[in-house]
Amino acid sequence: MKSFDMPVGPLHVSLEEPMYFRIHVEGEQVAGIEITAGHVHRGIEYLTAKRNIYQNLALIERVCSLCSNSHPQAYCMGLEKIAGIEVPERAQYLRVIADEIKRAASNMFNVAILAHIVGFESLFMHVMEAREIMQDTKETVFGNRMDLAANVIGGVKFDIDEAGAAYVIGQLNRLEPILVKEIIPLYETNASILSRTRGVGVINREQCIDYGLMGPVARGSGYAYDVRTAAPYAVYDRLDVEVITYPDGDVWSRAMVRLREVVEAIRLMRLCLRELPEGPLTAGPLPFIPAGEAITKVEAPRGELIYYLKTDGTDIPARVKWRVPTYMNWDALEVMMVGDRISDIPLIVNSIDPCISCTER
Amino acid sequence: MTTETLWTLATVLVFPGGLFALVLGLALKGVERRAIARLQRRIGPPLVQPFYDLLKLMRKRTLIPDTANAFVFLAVPVAGLASMAVAAGMIPIAGFFEPSPLLGNLVVLFYLISIPAVSLMLAGSASGSPYGAIGFSREMAIVLAYEGPILLSLVSVALYAGALTGQPVLLNLTEIVRYQQQHGAFLFDPWMWPALLTYLCFIPANLGIAPFDIPEAESEILEGPLVEYSGPPLGLMKMMSVTKAVVVLGLGIALFFPNGPAGLAGLLVFIIKCLVLVLAVSLLKAAVGRMRIDQAVLFYLKWPELLGFAGLALAIARF
Repeated sequence: MKSFDMPVGPLHVSLEEPMYFRIHVEGEQVAGIEITAGHVHRGIEYLTAKRNIYQNLALIERVCSLCSNSHPQAYCMGLEKIAGIEVPERAQYLRVIADEIKRAASNMFNVAILAHIVGFESLFMHVMEAREIMQDTKETVFGNRMDLAANVIGGVKFDIDEAGAAYVIGQLNRLEPILVKEIIPLYETNASILSRTRGVGVINREQCIDYGLMGPVARGSGYAYDVRTAAPYAVYDRLDVEVITYPDGDVWSRAMVRLREVVEAIRLMRLCLRELPEGPLTAGPLPFIPAGEAITKVEAPRGELIYYLKTDGTDIPARVKWRVPTYMNWDALEVMMVGDRISDIPLIVNSIDPCISCTER
Repeated sequence: MTTETLWTLATVLVFPGGLFALVLGLALKGVERRAIARLQRRIGPPLVQPFYDLLKLMRKRTLIPDTANAFVFLAVPVAGLASMAVAAGMIPIAGFFEPSPLLGNLVVLFYLISIPAVSLMLAGSASGSPYGAIGFSREMAIVLAYEGPILLSLVSVALYAGALTGQPVLLNLTEIVRYQQQHGAFLFDPWMWPALLTYLCFIPANLGIAPFDIPEAESEILEGPLVEYSGPPLGLMKMMSVTKAVVVLGLGIALFFPNGPAGLAGLLVFIIKCLVLVLAVSLLKAAVGRMRIDQAVLFYLKWPELLGFAGLALAIARF
C-alpha cells in the first residue's frame, strides 16, 4: 500500500475539541504524526492581567468545562499563599468534595467516549447514564452541572448541610453498585473492548518519565505520581488517597485507572462527608493582598495542574500562568501512535483525555 | 415489448424490486433504529424517520469535491441502486410472488449482491478523500473475506436442493422455494445448518452492522466512502443500502425458510420474517463494539469459511 497523509481534525467526530493532527500513514499503519494546536486560543492569560482578582475567579473557571473546579482551586490557593490566608477546615473538606465530584464525572465521561469510539454505543449510553447521577448531584449541590463556582479566595461558596450530605451519600450509593458491579467488570472482560484497547497505544514507564507525563496516563504506565499524595493540598494528607496504577501503559490501562479513580473518588467523598467538621466556610473579608509570587499545584482529572501567580500589590494580578497536564501528554501521542493502526488513532487520542481548551486557553 | 418483458420490468421497478423494496427497507431501518434506541434506554426516532431523512437529502444540493472524479462519483450510486432493484426483483416470496425467469438464477443474484460493495469501493476512491481511500481499502478487505463463505453457502444450498430433486445442481431460486414449500424448510434440516450459519454470519458484514461496520466506521473514518457525498447522491447511497438489506434478508428467507401461506398472507409472513431478522440484527448491533479490520478479516477467514466448507461437504455427502 502506498503512503499518504491523513488529516484528523480540526473537526472530527471523535475529537471533542478542535485539534489538528496530520498523520502520515503507510498502509493501515501510522508512520508519523504532526500536531498543530491553537484552534481554541482565546487569550485568557492576557485577560487575567486586565481584570481584578475576583473577576479572574469567574474567568478562570471558564477555561475548560471538565477541569472547571481545579483551575479556580489552584488560583485561590495561590492567592491564599501570597496573602497568608488560613482556609477554615470545613472549607478544605468541601473543596475536596468539589474536586472529587468533578473527577468522577470527568473520568466517566472519558471512559464513555472510549466505548463510543469502539462503536459500542450501548455501553456508551450506559456509562453516560451512570455519569448523569453525578451531574444531577452537582446540579443539586452547586446549582450547576459543569461550572461549580465552588471556590472563593479563602474558602468555598457552597455548603452541605445534613440533608445535603444524606442526599449526596444516597447518590453515591446509587452510583457505586452500577460502577463496581456493571461498568468495571464490563471494561475488564468484554471482548469488544479488550480486543480494541489491549496493547494499543503503548507507552512504557521510562518514556512516561522522559516526556513528563501526568495523571491517569502516567499511572496507566505504572508511574505512581499523584499530586494528592506527592504534595497534598486541602486535606488530602488526612484522607490516605490510594494511587491507582496499572503496569501495561496501553489504552485499556488508562481507562481502568480512570474507572478505579472514580471508585476512589466515591470513597473520598464519603469520608469527607462523614468527617466534615463544623466551622466557617470562608476566612472572612479579604485582606490586602501584598506583592508576591506563588506556585501551587493540584491534581486535575487529567493530571498535575500548576499555577504561577504574581501580584504587585494592586487588585489586578501582574501575571497568572498555568501549565496543564495535556501540554505534556499530547506530545507523547507520537510515541503511542507510531506503529499502531489508523483505526486506533481516535482511541489513542481519547486515551490521554486531551483538554484542548485548557492547553490553548 | 412483450407482456412478459413489461411484467419483468414491473417486478424490478415496482414490486418486489424498486419501490416496494425501498419502502420496506426504509421501514425496517426505522424499526432497527427504534429497537436499538429502546435497548439503550433511549426513546429513539419515529418509525418514519428514515423516510424524512431521505426526502430531506433528495431536496438538498449536490456538492462534488474538486478532487473527485465527477462521472464515477455520480454514476456509482445509480449503478448500486439499480443493481439492488434488479436483485430485489429476483427474490421469490413464497405463495405470493415468483420472479421472472428472464432475470436469471442464483449465480446472477450472487453477482448482483456484490455490486453495492463495489459501488462503495468506487465511491470511496472516486471521492478523492483520504477517508474514502481508507474506506475503500477496508471495504475491499472485508468483501474478500466474506465473499468466500457466502459463495460456499449458496452453492451448498444449490447442490443440496439439486440432490433432493434429482438434479446435479438447482440454481433456480423459485424451484428451491417450491421444493421447501412441499417438503419442509431447510431451516429445520440439520444437514443445512452449517450453510445457514454461514449465511447468518454474512448478513452483518454485508449490511455494515456492528461489529463489522468497519468500512463506514463513523468515529474513526467519518463514514469512509460516503464522507464526500451530499444531497441526492447520498440519498441514492442510502436507498441502495436499505434495499440491500431487503435483498440480503429476503434471499436468506428464500434459501432457508420461505414457507408461508398463499395470497396476501404470504407477503405478510415474509415481512414478519424480515422484521424478526432486523430485530435480531439490532440486538447484535446493540450488544457489541466494532472490530478492527484485521480482526474482522481473520474472523471471516476462520469461522464462516470453515462452516461454509462443512456445509458444502454435507451437501455433497447427500448425493
